[in-house]
Amino acid sequence: MSEEQGMTPFEAAFHASAERHERVWTFCVIVMLALLTIGTMFYVVRDYGLVSATGAFYTDPADPAREAAFADGKIVRTGPNAYAVYVVGRAWHWSPDVIRVPAGAEITFYVTSADVLHGFEIQGTAVNLTAVPGVVGSVKYTFRRPGVYHIICNEYCGMLHHAMVARIVVTPSQAVTTGTPS
Amino acid sequence: MNIQVAAQATGPRADTGRDAGIGRDAAMRRMMLAFLVAGFGALLVGATIGPLQALNYAGINAYPSLRPLLQTYYQGLTIHGVLNGYVFTFFVTCGLLVYLPARELGVTPGLAPWRACFGLMAAGTACLLYAMFDNSSSVLWTFYPPLKGSPFFYFGMTLLTIGSTMPLPILLAMRATWKRARPGQVTPLVTYMSLVTMLMWVMAGIGALAELVLQLDPWSIGLIAAVDPIIDRTLFWLTGHPIVYFWLMPAYISWYGLLSRQAGGKLVSDPMARLTFALLMVFALPVGTHHQFADPGFSQVWRGILVVLTMSVAMPSLITAFTLGLSLEYAGRLRGGTGLFGWFRALPWGDPSVAAQVLAAVTFILGGATGIVNGSWQLDAIVHNTIFVPGHFHVTVGSVTAMTFMAITFWMVPHLTGRRLVSRRLALAAAWLWFAGMMLFAVGMQWAGLYGVPRRAWISALPHGTYHALYGAASVPLALVAAGGVVLWLATYAFFAVFFGTILFGRRAAPPPVPFAQAIGGPADHAIDAPPSPAGAGPSPLARALEHVWILAGVTLVAAAAAYVPILWPFLHHVTRAPGWVLW
Ligand code: HEM
Ligand SMILES: [Cu+2]
Ligand SMILES: [Cu+2]
Repeated sequence: MSEEQGMTPFEAAFHASAERHERVWTFCVIVMLALLTIGTMFYVVRDYGLVSATGAFYTDPADPAREAAFADGKIVRTGPNAYAVYVVGRAWHWSPDVIRVPAGAEITFYVTSADVLHGFEIQGTAVNLTAVPGVVGSVKYTFRRPGVYHIICNEYCGMLHHAMVARIVVTPSQAVTTGTPS
Repeated sequence: MNIQVAAQATGPRADTGRDAGIGRDAAMRRMMLAFLVAGFGALLVGATIGPLQALNYAGINAYPSLRPLLQTYYQGLTIHGVLNGYVFTFFVTCGLLVYLPARELGVTPGLAPWRACFGLMAAGTACLLYAMFDNSSSVLWTFYPPLKGSPFFYFGMTLLTIGSTMPLPILLAMRATWKRARPGQVTPLVTYMSLVTMLMWVMAGIGALAELVLQLDPWSIGLIAAVDPIIDRTLFWLTGHPIVYFWLMPAYISWYGLLSRQAGGKLVSDPMARLTFALLMVFALPVGTHHQFADPGFSQVWRGILVVLTMSVAMPSLITAFTLGLSLEYAGRLRGGTGLFGWFRALPWGDPSVAAQVLAAVTFILGGATGIVNGSWQLDAIVHNTIFVPGHFHVTVGSVTAMTFMAITFWMVPHLTGRRLVSRRLALAAAWLWFAGMMLFAVGMQWAGLYGVPRRAWISALPHGTYHALYGAASVPLALVAAGGVVLWLATYAFFAVFFGTILFGRRAAPPPVPFAQAIGGPADHAIDAPPSPAGAGPSPLARALEHVWILAGVTLVAAAAAYVPILWPFLHHVTRAPGWVLW
């Protein structure tokens, strides 16, 4: 530092020790951040499942049903242990509103909206995808445990946003059925 | 003397605008007071609604009893977000970032443009209030299309945003006047930090203004039929991420530029403070799309790059933590504190302005850590749009900014009005209650977010059975949220009793001066008519290099363009035209 001349001895001593402190501090911070990042990554993998891909293709914003697969909320078997689920968000329900899939299968959700933005969140998982009118987003997930999971809308979409809930029933068997919109 | 800093002033610092008459000085003080009153008036309304939202999460629905004033939770939330996030922060910042540099330089600001700044923002706020209270525009503070509010909302937002950029030309003019009298010297610290903040904000504002002027304004009055929701979202976040720095940087200015003096010491490093601000500006713009990790339509590679860029943003904050911590340690040791933490206890905790700022800084540790979670794509997938997110930003803007601005009023209202604080003890209580309330609240929100409790959801209006099926597992953290909200109510009213009480009823006393901090080894006074100090003659090479703010701004623009063009490209090739919807 070039401004040593204006300092009292106490200031100068403090100033000099600052640089040593700075190295210690930087080191601690890096270690802390690294541990935090690695630790939480393991936590995510173990408890929430990692999610791959949020690729997109495009459709008619006013009428997603033009894309045949969205017409009646289809669940399509795409491989020996893989399914595609087509979901449309509409103020204020998801269709289909009950989705049955088997545990252990790789599910690809294709999600879009028929009006405003919605948020496709499967509670307790890392599935989180914005539903955009005119855009189809996709996300892959494998449910390991059978049970009932809730789909919640997590992007504000108007008056009944909080009530926009659907269910995913994860069955132990290979039986798959489409729910009927209520 | 009520405020300690006044007694500790080193050397005379004339507080009347030195190149101006008494009339202009009084006009300056009045303007600054007007900015404070307008900003804190907005906070009063916003912070009164906040705890209702906190109660909502614990299943307590107060909204039916609030009709006809508020129709829905979402109307209240829109008012809360707009008044607290935009109106409060913009008014206080646009006051401070002109007033403090004017005092530091000893130059009178252009009063006409400063009044225009106030006028535009006030007109914008009036339009917004009208559009929000008549429930025509419950679109929340992010106003994502194709939800469609009234033209008053979007035009009000446009005026507010344009008004908030006006301090830039005022600052540039003041700096030019000062530089003419002190050729070859680097800009004094507080002015430098203010200038960089406003430069950053004007560049960042391009996104929201483009969204408003090209899309939402004409759309709301029927000139265009449809908008592209994802392009508008991207433009929104081009401004919406830097806005968090526009919230933080004015608080940092107080921490770097004033707090070390208020605490009884000096700033340990002036060049580090400048470096922090330069880095904040350069990093702020390119990373906005990390708010869109959950959006479809841009590549995995870009998501990865964004994570890295976002982490780099932690750097200036960590430098701040270091420099600020060290400056406080220096002050504490000067005051006789010894040992590892004795200096911390030796800080002047009886001064409400110091206490509130130190508590704000402590709160920010939680804000920084949770910001790192939001910034990593995979972690974000778990907490995205859950109440983890408002949990995070209430320990940043809701504490760092709000508490620091409150702290500033504790010396500034006496400084502007010549009236003593009505109660130092109540001011201290407000600071501690706010700290305690926000901690309870934020821990509750972040913990509940891990259970997938969504943000912006009127869950207390759900049938009991549904509420329990969906959120029963999170009942403990949600109870913390509600408890924090109630403590925050107490804090709010304690603060406002002091604020308005002092303005209206405080006893007359000599106004304390602005407590500008001195950097170790730096000049004692920068003002235009003060004699140049010998120590200030040789600023560090780093400070000299950072003086080229236009080059830094250019780098920022290039980096922002490099980050945005690849992301916007696919969207621009598949423009979707969505009609508008009113769904509340
Ligand atoms: C009195 C203390 C406060 C309490 C109890 C409080 C409470 C809350 C709660 C519970 C939410 C989430 C609502 C939801 O997602 O449904 C929220 C949102 C928000 N708060 Fe606060 N808040 C307070 C003060 C502040 C302050 C001081 C600021 C800014 C300076 C602020 C800015 C915001 C913003 C921008 C939102 C987001 C609104 C949205 O998502 O549209 N709040 N607040
Ligand atoms: Cu929805
Ligand atoms: Cu919704």
